[in-house]
Amino acid sequence: MDVQLKRGLLDVCVLAAIKNDDSYGYKIIKDMKPYIEMSESTLYTILKRLEAARMLTVRSAEHEGRLRKYYRITDVGVKRIDDFKDEWKEIMSIYRFVTREDQGNE
Amino acid sequence: MSKQEFLDQLRAGLAGLPQQDINERLTFYSEMIDDRIEEGLTEEAAVAGMDSVDSIVSQTLSEIPLSKIVKERVSSKRSMPAWAIILIIIGAPVWIPLLLSFFIIILSFYVVIWSIVFALWATVVGIGLSSVASLAAGVILMCLGHGITGVLLISAFLVLVGLTILFVFLSIALTKAMAILTGVIASGIKRMFIRKEK
Repeated sequence: MDVQLKRGLLDVCVLAAIKNDDSYGYKIIKDMKPYIEMSESTLYTILKRLEAARMLTVRSAEHEGRLRKYYRITDVGVKRIDDFKDEWKEIMSIYRFVTREDQGNE
Repeated sequence: MSKQEFLDQLRAGLAGLPQQDINERLTFYSEMIDDRIEEGLTEEAAVAGMDSVDSIVSQTLSEIPLSKIVKERVSSKRSMPAWAIILIIIGAPVWIPLLLSFFIIILSFYVVIWSIVFALWATVVGIGLSSVASLAAGVILMCLGHGITGVLLISAFLVLVGLTILFVFLSIALTKAMAILTGVIASGIKRMFIRKEK
């Protein structure tokens, strides 16, 4: 997949992974794995970026005697997902335009 | 590799960055490894599943701005002994021009690189313009009755158009290559600052 495209998608995927419930780093990667592969260092960069954009907040909580960071989505983050859905409708209509000849031949 | 070895290598690789940036990353990767172990992996396997230390270091470097790295190096020197500070002040006439010339050399390197790119694009424009001019001159001469000279100029036009197209592709390729080279140099400078810290 195109690097720029994947980069944009990963941001939204990470937000989607914490949308319903707070989550932590390893679980986010695991939840996304069936759909899109992501390395730990990529996740770190994305989490930092989303935090700076106030799309998520971070808190540390104790787990099994150690600290684990949990990420929670903010209203801004939820709005980003909604925007993505709207953008995707546009992309789908472009997709139909790009593939209209292929469909005509079928 | 054990978790501690991995974290030690990472810490060494990131040395020279602001302490907070290093600690945050170490905490993050440590948590990742712990979660993998909790999942049932052995410590070795959990570490093996992570990105290599080298790739984490280069990704981190590409994300942290050079200014932050330089600032960290400058501020971390505040705890120097008095004699070192005196030496630095006494040595100022030597090291300030050296540092200045170092940055000027880097700057001139950039200027040279982009002058080459600029020159090539100027050539493209030049050839392109002369091809248009020879077409116009050729047509005018033919209309005025200088048939052979006109044909000659029009054929010159064709040759020049061909050259223009060739040079456009060459210029695009060179521009891209130079952009990559510029990036490599920038990351090289960042690495230099970090290596010195070790």
